[in-house]
Formats: sequence, C-alpha cells, structure tokens
Amino acid sequence: MSSQIVDRARSRSAAERLGDALTGVNAVAYCLVLPAILLRLAFTLVPALQTFWLSFTDKSLMAPGRFIGLANYAAMLSDKTLIGSFGFTLFYTVTSVALETALGLAIAMLLMRQLRARWISNFIMLLPWVMAPLLAATVWKIMFYEDGGILNQILRDLGVISSPIRWLSSANTARGSVVLVTVWKNVSWVALIFMAALAALPKDVYEAAEVDGANAWQRFRAITVPMLRPTIFLVLMFRGMGEVQTFEQIGGLTRGGPGTATQNLAYYAYQRFFQELRYGYGSAINVLLLLLTALIGGFFAWRMYKASSR
Amino acid sequence: MAARTLPLLHPQRILLMALLVLVLLFLAFPVYFMLVTSLKSSGEAYRLPATLWPHNPTLQAYPFVIKAWSYWRTLGNTVLVAGLAAFGATMLGGIAAYGFSRMAFTGKSLLYATVVGSMAIPAMVTLGPIFLAYKDLRLLDTHLGLILVFMAEGIPVAFLTLFSYFKAIPKELDEAAAIDGGSLLDIFFRIIVPIALPGVAVTFLLLFIAGWNEFLFAFTLTITPSTRLLTVRLFEIPIRADANTIPYDLIAAGGMLILLPLVPILLRVQKQLVEGILAGAVKE
Repeated sequence: MSSQIVDRARSRSAAERLGDALTGVNAVAYCLVLPAILLRLAFTLVPALQTFWLSFTDKSLMAPGRFIGLANYAAMLSDKTLIGSFGFTLFYTVTSVALETALGLAIAMLLMRQLRARWISNFIMLLPWVMAPLLAATVWKIMFYEDGGILNQILRDLGVISSPIRWLSSANTARGSVVLVTVWKNVSWVALIFMAALAALPKDVYEAAEVDGANAWQRFRAITVPMLRPTIFLVLMFRGMGEVQTFEQIGGLTRGGPGTATQNLAYYAYQRFFQELRYGYGSAINVLLLLLTALIGGFFAWRMYKASSR
Repeated sequence: MAARTLPLLHPQRILLMALLVLVLLFLAFPVYFMLVTSLKSSGEAYRLPATLWPHNPTLQAYPFVIKAWSYWRTLGNTVLVAGLAAFGATMLGGIAAYGFSRMAFTGKSLLYATVVGSMAIPAMVTLGPIFLAYKDLRLLDTHLGLILVFMAEGIPVAFLTLFSYFKAIPKELDEAAAIDGGSLLDIFFRIIVPIALPGVAVTFLLLFIAGWNEFLFAFTLTITPSTRLLTVRLFEIPIRADANTIPYDLIAAGGMLILLPLVPILLRVQKQLVEGILAGAVKE
C-alpha cells in the first residue's frame, strides 16, 4: 500500500467515502478483514440474536415454539433457584476476581524480586494456566475428598483443624471451594500480566520516592497502584467476563450442589436448555447472562480507557 | 528494588523467600498430587488417609485408562480439531490483523469494535442456537462442526495478538515490496509472516492449547465416543469391573494423559508463550 492512496482516502468527503466502500482501497481491505469478522459474527452475534428471539418463545424439544412475549422473563422473577443462582454468580465473580487480582499483584511483586531460576517459577505458574478448567476441577476434587482426603489430612497433621472440612458437602464451604479452585487456575495469568506491567514502570520515580523517605507501603500506594490502574482494569475486565460465565468448575466439582448452593447462571441455563430441553426459558436466562457479561466488560473497558488516556 | 541488595540471611529476605516458596507450593501441589496419585496402585489410591507419595509406584493405571478412553484415537481427534482450528484462526485472524495494521478503510473502527465487542458474548449464550443449527445442518457430532466453532472462538485472540506483532513491523518494508509488484497476500505471506514468525507460531500454540482444553462445545456438540475429544473423556470416569469405589488412580492417570502432551510446550517455548499471552491482552 502506498501512503498516498491512504492519505487520499482519508481526505475525501463522506459521500465519496461511501462510494469507495465497495471499490478500490476499501474493497481490498474488506477482502482481508471480512472473512475473519464474518466467521466470528456467524458464531457469536447471530446465535446471540437467536437467543434473544428464543427467549420470547416457548420453544422446547416438543413444542415448535410460539411468541409468548415476556412470559419467560416473568417466570424468572418467581424462580427461586434462578434468583439464588444469580446471587451466587455475583458472589462467585466478585470474590474470585478480587482474590485473583490482589493475589496476582502480590505474586507478581514477589516474583519480580527473584532473579535466579526464573524458568522454574515460570513453569510452575504456567501449569495451572495450561490446564483445562475441567481438569483443574477434577484434580481438586480428588484433593477435596473429605474423610481422609489429602487436604484434610495435611491440615490435620499441621494442627490447623481437628475435624475434617466439608469441602464440597456443606453449602458455604462448597461456595468457597469453587472460588478457591478458580483462583488457583487463573491467578497465574493475572500475575503474568502484572509482572509485565511492573517491569514497564519507570525506575526513577521509585528512586526519587525512596530518597524522599517513602517506605515500601507508601511507594506501593502512591506510585505502583496509580500507575497500574489501566492494567488493573484490564485484569478486572478479562477475569470478570471469564468468571461470570464459569461452567466447568461447577460441573466438575459440585454440579451445582449441595442442593443448589453453587448453582450459577451458566450452569442453570445449561440444565434448562440441554437437560429439560426448555429452549425458550433457557435462552431467557442466557440473555441475563449476556447482559451481565457485557455490563462487566463495558464498564471496565470504559474505566481502562479513561485510566490510560489520562 | 531494595530487597535485591539485602544480605542473604536478612530477615526480610528470608520472609520473602518463604512466601515465594509457599506460593509456588500452592500452585504446584495439585499437579504433584495428581502425578503421585496416578502412580499409586489401585489399593493404595483408595486407602485413607491419603498418602503423599506412592509407596509402591506403578504405571498400571495408565494402560487401563488408555484402553477405556480409546486414548490414541481421542488424542488424534483432539490434535486434529485443535490443530486445524488453531491453524485456520491464525490464518484468518492474521490476515485481518494485517489489513488493520496496514490500511485505512471505511468503518475500520466499527469493525475493530465488533471483533473486540464480540468477546463479551459468553459461549453459553451461543451454544444453544449453534446446537440447534448444527442439528439441522447435520454438523452435530462432526469434527468439521467443532473446528468451525473453535476457529470462531480463536479469532479475537489471533487478531489481537498478531495485530500487536504486525504493528511493530515498519510499513516501509511492505511498501518497498509493493513497488516491486507483489500483491497484498503475497507480501503478507512472503514478508510479514516470516518476520513475525515467532508471533505467528505462538499465536498458533495459544489457540492450540485453548482448543485442547475446550470443554463446553466439545461436550455438547459431540455424541459418539469416536468423535469425542480428551477433555470430554475426563467427564467419563473409567470404572473397574470389580470395584465400586471411586478409582482415584484412574482419574489422576487420565488427567496426566491430558496434561502431559502440553508439558513439552511449557518447557521449550515458555518465554515466547508468556510474550504471546501479554501481546494478546495488552491494550492497543
């Protein structure tokens, strides 16, 4: 591409640019970019629109489906299990993202100081990252075995507990256990992102602060956190969108139990759609999941944009 | 930072080292425990309290799982689907990223926002309609169906990662080639891809790993054992005919059989992998 052509395309009027849309520079560019974008949209936007449409119908395996307006949404309001899974989704997302971000930053700062044998710590960090979420859940499930399982055994030998922890069989601990597995799985990615961001921070600011007598905590609060703001929002955005739609950890660890204690939106929607074969109702739950995900992504993308354009 | 200059036995340094060891232990222990459990005899795997290392290490769990899962066939399926999807997404995403990094065109920022914005659509939301459409299109239970879904899943990652690599290549290079009369795709494959080869390779690997680990689509869109992928097998616990306890050794061996093929990648191209992860995430 010669730059004159590009400049000319820029300086033309809106009407002329519209005319260009199907010819010349644009035609070539569209040939390059559209195959990827169209494939992407065919598997995301199109099915998402279909989900919207299905959510206004009573389609199921048995019924071809007719338009029923907002009836599915009205049914959601009185579905106690759904409200419970919405609540757990929020709890789970907020807790695991908060822990991942805080721990990830701490681990990054810790690892920045370690200079020798980097490849070992990098290898260990990448192990949870490279494992399938379902594999992570499977491994932890073996360790969570309650009577004489390895975690309870170690904690008892260390004198931390006297009676076994009900990792997956008591409602509140099960909620925590699911969060624990997710944090284990994803904290490495967060730490890697923060390590790169920390390495890019200007050293002279820290040196100046040290000369001025700021202690480590003050330097962290006054320099590190403000300068990391765009990265923090990036992490919150990606992890928030990831955790809110968690499926594998729930399926692999608790299947939503005990009772419905760890039932989340994605798992609940999956059961309605694929086990009860209620396509309409399952789709209405998915619309809620979509709105929640887009809200998280949009909010943090906006905060990230503001923080980095300052 | 200050800690680097501290003497070896300074209390603060010892504390930090202890914390570091604790963190690495937390991250590594589950994998260690999976490994040792897979090496236990079936009797020891059931024994409670659980043991921290195998007293009579044995590989007997592995052949059992390999047979019960039709492991080699499943492995072949996984390599085929994850590999072709990663290749396709790297190509399509790369060509698109090249267009974005080199050309000005109408609706450019809108299309960019479309790709990035599509990442906010959860897989679960698309799964139902894709399943129903696949049923009509006879793509259910086919590898082609999975490859198409995995490709679409991988395109934003490929696009963003390669966009950040391509932007770093000076435009003068391809402008010189354009004057010499090369077509755009010609320039892309003969000049850009070779220069950005580390980035292209790492993008392929990242997508390959993602496909290897994908479960939701692979589970829902396949039915017969002969089309299934490795992670889906993990959901089917192999059972011994004569035992009614949970076969921990078999589950752990299955887990190892899924993890092990990826370990060489972690060891050989670790640095590049980390760079690739960062390239895809760091904002423009």
